[in-house]
Amino acid sequence: MKTINSRRDFLRQVSAAAFAAGAAPSLLSWALPVARNQSLGFPDLAVPGLDLPGEDGMIVRSFRFVDLETPVEYFNTWLTPVPHFFVRNHMHEPSELSAEDWRLTVGGESERPLTLTLSELLKLKTHSVVNTLECAGNGRSLHRPQVPGVQWGKGAVSTARFSGPRLRDILQRAAVKSSGKHVMFRGLDEVPGKVPPFIRSIPIEKAFDSDTLVATHMNGAPLTKHHGFPARALVPGWIGAASCKWLTEIKVLESEFVGNFMSPGYRFPDQPVKPGDAVRPEDTHPLTELNVKSVISGPLNGASLKSGKVSVHGAAWAGEADIVKVEVSTDGGANWNRATLGHDQSHYAWRLWTYEWKAKGGDYSILSRATDSRGRTQPDTPAWNPSGYLYNAPDQVKIHVA
Amino acid sequence: MSHNKVSMVAREGTEAGRQRLIWGQPPLRQAQGRLSVRPGKARLSAMLLALMVASVTALPFSALAQKPAPPKPTEDLPPGPMQAKATTSCLECHEGRIILQQRLSKAAWTKEVDKMMKWGAVVDATDHDALIDYLSANFSPDQPPYDPPRTTLGKTSGKNGDTRKSK
Repeated sequence: MKTINSRRDFLRQVSAAAFAAGAAPSLLSWALPVARNQSLGFPDLAVPGLDLPGEDGMIVRSFRFVDLETPVEYFNTWLTPVPHFFVRNHMHEPSELSAEDWRLTVGGESERPLTLTLSELLKLKTHSVVNTLECAGNGRSLHRPQVPGVQWGKGAVSTARFSGPRLRDILQRAAVKSSGKHVMFRGLDEVPGKVPPFIRSIPIEKAFDSDTLVATHMNGAPLTKHHGFPARALVPGWIGAASCKWLTEIKVLESEFVGNFMSPGYRFPDQPVKPGDAVRPEDTHPLTELNVKSVISGPLNGASLKSGKVSVHGAAWAGEADIVKVEVSTDGGANWNRATLGHDQSHYAWRLWTYEWKAKGGDYSILSRATDSRGRTQPDTPAWNPSGYLYNAPDQVKIHVA
Repeated sequence: MSHNKVSMVAREGTEAGRQRLIWGQPPLRQAQGRLSVRPGKARLSAMLLALMVASVTALPFSALAQKPAPPKPTEDLPPGPMQAKATTSCLECHEGRIILQQRLSKAAWTKEVDKMMKWGAVVDATDHDALIDYLSANFSPDQPPYDPPRTTLGKTSGKNGDTRKSK
């Protein structure tokens, strides 16, 4: 497949898509590339109900704001097609986005604050990173006792090849002062009521990492609206919330950004917590990288299969670490068998895995458990926390074999 | 003003009711606020475009009349003495599913309601406790889980991704 489109391709796609939006029914996303618009046949667009342009068979956690979960059966390709890539919004998506009018400002602790247009951004040298992006709240619905928030099942996670200039190249142009220790991102999300704006920051070391991007492309095509057109931060291996969409401001700060989505939002207890207990804010730290985790993409929970050869398969990821082992149990966790890891791999990307099993008749509880290059293994008991972040107990499906 | 911006405004103004459900965008009156400051020429273009959109979207609706009703874009809150007030207070900013999928204790609902009031939800002081009772009764941990719908299937499978299967 194509990895990166040229800048000319990007601008052509954007302008053609913008034209299509002016001339065609309003449900078309003007940020969609041309090829995708053509694939959306007109009659389908008018189907009333849960029709979101560019989103295909996704689990609707919320329509307003748009929060869509990827069904686990889609986790059978190393790169997730964009229409199958989970969508997490804290706010309303920007109602007006124009490639022409969009600006990215860079300032704060900087000798040379600057403003970039989209065409200026697209002139910078690009870099690609295949990254597994996961919402910190993925698996929240599995925590007991239950906690408030979007009740994600197993699919607030997906993998794509993100491309765009390195954040550090942009920061170097702005000549970051030695006083700059954190980098703040602000997007164009539209805030309802008195909800605090979705602004977060990352430490300067991660901002200067050679794989941290201002991404303009996903799987070789310009970002779609749901994924942050025209540019988003891409902070690989870290919780999805670090990768701010519809990026419009980068500000270098002396200290961590102070705001709802840094505290009390997106924080994790320093010490293990008894499920249901309250945690004092001073006993928590901001979430950064993802932990080790696996998910079974087949057979599906509740499936009824014929006896014989059954392929148990799925994906496993570990934030900034690498997956070294995935094990599968077909007897509820008593015995574990090594799965075969897929050949596609990249530092921040999940590994697909399969385990070929000769199944006899009966009822089974099938589990998967991953281990990473730091020796971390998925814990039998998930680490409960008041906001339900980073659920990573072994995955489990129950099936019947006839 | 760019051509592009005109079209965005037209979309907001003509179909805002449906649009906000479909795109997760702000309520109608915000969109109208924007529309009202546009120059006359832009408004005319917007109206013409609105007519185009209305005429082309009307046909397929009738053609699909025999199909079973698809899931609704947004869900209503359950019946009860606080249904109307909860709808006004909560669904201004987000849709009903956000509430329908929660399974929380009364203590947790109290924290949520208080947080949302801090964030702009308008709840009369006299309704505060009744609202928490209504949410706690309908969305308690012992209720069965909410079964979410899916977006329309089948238009885009296999596009824009690497379809190689791992061996």
